[in-house]
Amino acid sequence: MKRSSRNRLIPPVIIRTLKNQPVIIAFIAVFVMFSILYPDRFLSLLNLKTILRQFVTLTLFAMGPSIVVVTGSLDLSYVGIWMLGGVLVWLCMPVLGLFSIFVILLLGVTTGFVIGVIQTKAKIPSFILTLSLLVTYWGLTAKLAGGYPRIVRGFEFITAPLIPYIPTTFLWSIPIIAAAVFIMKYTKIGTYLYAIGSNEEGAQLAGINVDRYKILAFTLSGLFTGIGSMILFQHLGGSTPVELKLNTLVWPLVAIVLGGTPLMGGSGGPQRTILGALTFTVFYRGVYLSPLHPYSVQLLVGLLLIVSIIVSARGLKGVTIT
Amino acid sequence: MRMGIAMDDSLLEVKGVSKTFGGVVHALDDISLAARRNEIVGVVGENGAGKSTLMKILVGVYPPDKGEMYHKGEKVPFPKNPKEAAKRGISIVYQEKGVIPWLKVYQFLFLGHEDKYVKFYRLQTDEMKKNARAILDELHVKCDAEVFMHELPLSTQKMVEIARAILSVRLESEEDGTTPIIILDEPTAPLNDEERRELFSDLLKMKKNASFFFISHIIPEVREFTDRVHVLRDGKLVANYDFSEEKIAEEDLFRAIVGRESSEYISKLEVNGRRSKAVGLTAKNLTKKGHYYDITFDLHEGECVGVFGPAGSGKSHIIRTIAGIMSFEEGELIVKGQKLKASELPHMRLRKGIGYFSGETGKELFLNWPILKNISIVNMQKILGKFIPVINFNAERKMAQRIVHRLRIRAPSVNTDCYSLSGGNKQKVSVGKWVERKPEILLLDDPTIGIDVGAREDIYEVLSEMKKSGISMILVSDDPKEYSILCDRIMFILDGRIQNVLSPDEFRKVVGT
Amino acid sequence: MTTRPSLSWEWLRRNMTTVGPIVFVVAVVVGFQMMNPFFLRYQGIISLVYSMSYFLVAACGLTFVIMTGSFDFSVPSLLKLSALLCVLYIEDLGLWVIPLALLACVGFGFINGLLLAKFNVPSFMATLGVSIVVEGIALYLSKGFLRIMDDKAFRSLAITFIAGLPSVFYWGMGIWLISIFLAMCTPFGRRTYAVGGNLIGAVLSDMNTVRHRIYVFMLSGFFAGLAGILYMAQMGGGSVEMGADMAIPLFASVVAGGTALTGGVGGPHRTLLGVIIITWIQAGMNMLAIGRDIQMVTFGLIAIGMSIATIDRRRIKIIK
Repeated sequence: MKRSSRNRLIPPVIIRTLKNQPVIIAFIAVFVMFSILYPDRFLSLLNLKTILRQFVTLTLFAMGPSIVVVTGSLDLSYVGIWMLGGVLVWLCMPVLGLFSIFVILLLGVTTGFVIGVIQTKAKIPSFILTLSLLVTYWGLTAKLAGGYPRIVRGFEFITAPLIPYIPTTFLWSIPIIAAAVFIMKYTKIGTYLYAIGSNEEGAQLAGINVDRYKILAFTLSGLFTGIGSMILFQHLGGSTPVELKLNTLVWPLVAIVLGGTPLMGGSGGPQRTILGALTFTVFYRGVYLSPLHPYSVQLLVGLLLIVSIIVSARGLKGVTIT
Repeated sequence: MRMGIAMDDSLLEVKGVSKTFGGVVHALDDISLAARRNEIVGVVGENGAGKSTLMKILVGVYPPDKGEMYHKGEKVPFPKNPKEAAKRGISIVYQEKGVIPWLKVYQFLFLGHEDKYVKFYRLQTDEMKKNARAILDELHVKCDAEVFMHELPLSTQKMVEIARAILSVRLESEEDGTTPIIILDEPTAPLNDEERRELFSDLLKMKKNASFFFISHIIPEVREFTDRVHVLRDGKLVANYDFSEEKIAEEDLFRAIVGRESSEYISKLEVNGRRSKAVGLTAKNLTKKGHYYDITFDLHEGECVGVFGPAGSGKSHIIRTIAGIMSFEEGELIVKGQKLKASELPHMRLRKGIGYFSGETGKELFLNWPILKNISIVNMQKILGKFIPVINFNAERKMAQRIVHRLRIRAPSVNTDCYSLSGGNKQKVSVGKWVERKPEILLLDDPTIGIDVGAREDIYEVLSEMKKSGISMILVSDDPKEYSILCDRIMFILDGRIQNVLSPDEFRKVVGT
Repeated sequence: MTTRPSLSWEWLRRNMTTVGPIVFVVAVVVGFQMMNPFFLRYQGIISLVYSMSYFLVAACGLTFVIMTGSFDFSVPSLLKLSALLCVLYIEDLGLWVIPLALLACVGFGFINGLLLAKFNVPSFMATLGVSIVVEGIALYLSKGFLRIMDDKAFRSLAITFIAGLPSVFYWGMGIWLISIFLAMCTPFGRRTYAVGGNLIGAVLSDMNTVRHRIYVFMLSGFFAGLAGILYMAQMGGGSVEMGADMAIPLFASVVAGGTALTGGVGGPHRTLLGVIIITWIQAGMNMLAIGRDIQMVTFGLIAIGMSIATIDRRRIKIIK
């Protein structure tokens, strides 16, 4: 008797969703915790807006890599695309004017394609490949910028406020995120990428041209990163070759893993990453508002990464992990 | 036993198929076989007999060197790729790695054929789900079309794979109503007894929708569920049996599959060495659900016990459990008076005196290492310096040379990388390290798979010597001859239980070698 | 009957990983020497020695990890932590900072190994996560300030001149030789090759692979700690900015020497060559006033190129 009445209180659908996506619980927990701890600062309009803005930035950089992670590989080149793209825009401004912003897109797509080709034909592990590429791009950026941060003006219109209280970048990001989710959930491409991540050999046996789709995954990753960089260009200061901080580099990965996409691939994807990014942003902002030293924040980020990976790697008995 | 079968109403027939790899290895030599509509045709043989090569040719993975293919009596070219084969009605369900765990059932069913369901880049998932449910119903596969593949039990996964194969043919073939020919490559290998029975009852129901080539080396299954069977051995077709026409005993099939001329095993090896009363290992009621039940036996010093049974009987699982590769759920395993933990890594078992040798050299041999390093890796204590744990290279080399000499390994030197050795010699190196190690109990898992007679003899000789020196052994193999040469007692396992314990003479009578 | 290897294309291709680095080194040296005849002068050599020695120590540790087929991203961070611990606590603890630093690094190495062997976290991610944590700790401890190390005893570890070369050189060479010994002549080294060469084979032999992999990461941490100590002793000061971009050159030097990512081949003896290549290229580029940016590009490309060249494609069908 008691059991049936309890079931009516919490519909099984919700229980199943919570079980499949524990990140939702994490999100609620973190949000509630910081709301209770610092109600005036955390729940202020300014803070919520900042959360939204940071969420958008993180998500736009995480969409691309989350597609690649679904296939079981890693893509760390996003920061590189953003940096090098920025400097290229500065270089092309005199010639192409406002159209130079599209150089970033071109760079992103080309980078992704090249990574995909090298990964599939030369069989280099993706993390070392994309990391090396990132470092290479960073060097190129510094070289082209001549050592100084180069400021570019003229693209403020991209992020000019449209609707009060809602950052325009958020509006731009909606179609991007929707596109990523659509591709992964509702097209043949998405199905094939999940198949490759879940069992690459089986996908091959089923007749899927695995190399072709892996290249496509990397290219899409570069594409999304490129678009994201375009939207965020002015917002993030425009073409500053940054220090290669390990900490911030890893944030999109944290968002991906936290959201529930296993590093081995096969499930999850952009739709999960959104939740991961949201949770991470809320967490980060909350910790930032706390009296904890900013350096300890980095520590927490690292711990968060490790913990989420352990939790998501739980089901990997019997697989050879290197 | 008849060699040819007159096929008037054959669906698919191949004649005279031959294939060599690298111009030397005859994988297939003049094979002819056929399938009629709505029948299950068994294709049996040992590992390396040529079954998978033949099937890969049928399905378009590679072309034959010689041969003809007939579809419904008409001569057709061999398919050049799996898609073409599907157009012809042929499709295959692989033994392993065919399932994509994180795809939903309906996604998996249509994998590769999504183009039929795409509108403006969007997949028509509702229609896919509907069609998926339709075919699952039609083929009596009981599962929900929207769950993930990994959520299904193993036998249901296999059924979905079969449904997918049938679907591939229907979607690809140009003429309507082609009866699909589905090749099942060892479909029951990953299944336990219950799952196997389920799979077979479902398969029988599917007979009216398709014909099947059933590849297996599990004799009882083949006898029970196929209509006809072709037996391959060393790339040649050696027998055809039609179960509707004659009563075939299991021993006949055994003999056809394995039968070698007895004159090839020359030496009368002294099998029954003196068996001491001391017990090295005791197994009591070892049970792992779905694999083996109530396994109880004693292993004496200097004795070799064989665990014999058809594939799938649980014999491999038993030996792997003792080795530490698998864990057991109930029962006890006692070595030297000590109870072993149910779940333990192989190296811990080795510390207790149990060594495990598998004939699959890819697995345990370090191919890019020279012979001497492969021998020394389990014998480190013997080659370390007296005071400091440093490798004594001289001792290492001498140890390897001893083994090479004793096992008659053919290699330029002990420094030769194992990559370049022949199969038989690789096996010898693998055995060699255990010969040197001399564990109290040595587990032999298919020790001489796929190697030539000469190498086999050398290995048997060394194993016999080891037995005489007091080492106990447990043997699992697909070759009945091996049991009668090496074993003092042979346990016959069926469906995971010990049915009988035979002496070598009794065994020979039963198996007929 | 052995056939003498003839100098054919076949032999060259198979031994590329040995021949390649040697040719590379010669090319680098000759090339730079031609561009600037003062390249190999005494001063140049001293500065090369300084940049090479601690780097070699760190690279040797990393080599062991790569030999097992894993990856240790945390080496630069542990180096930094070790150096910082030394400079921060030298006044309070004197030379006892050395065991402290080493202990800390070994501890993190242990965590790396545990994450990999017990929790199934891919080594790249595990060490990445740990390195972020370590960097966070380093940041927190140093509060971002530049610190000066002026303890004479400590500094003498590295800058005492013996036979014309600073002591750090002898440390570097000594540790390199010990690494070679460890890899070639001890069961530990043999087991390391085994784990990288065929993990299944290793599991089926009498070694505890879980424990061994943890040991390897602890070793790598230990060497990183040593490298940090030497670095601090030789530099005399540092901040959190140091070692930021060391990861790729470090990795590049290991693969450039001929130790493949797939594991089971190569070893510390090869790493010396790789380190020479990388540090000398760096020195040469500095001399030609090529900015750090292009240097980064070069190292990135070398890392990619040598990875391609050394991966044993026979063994791995599926690479993600």
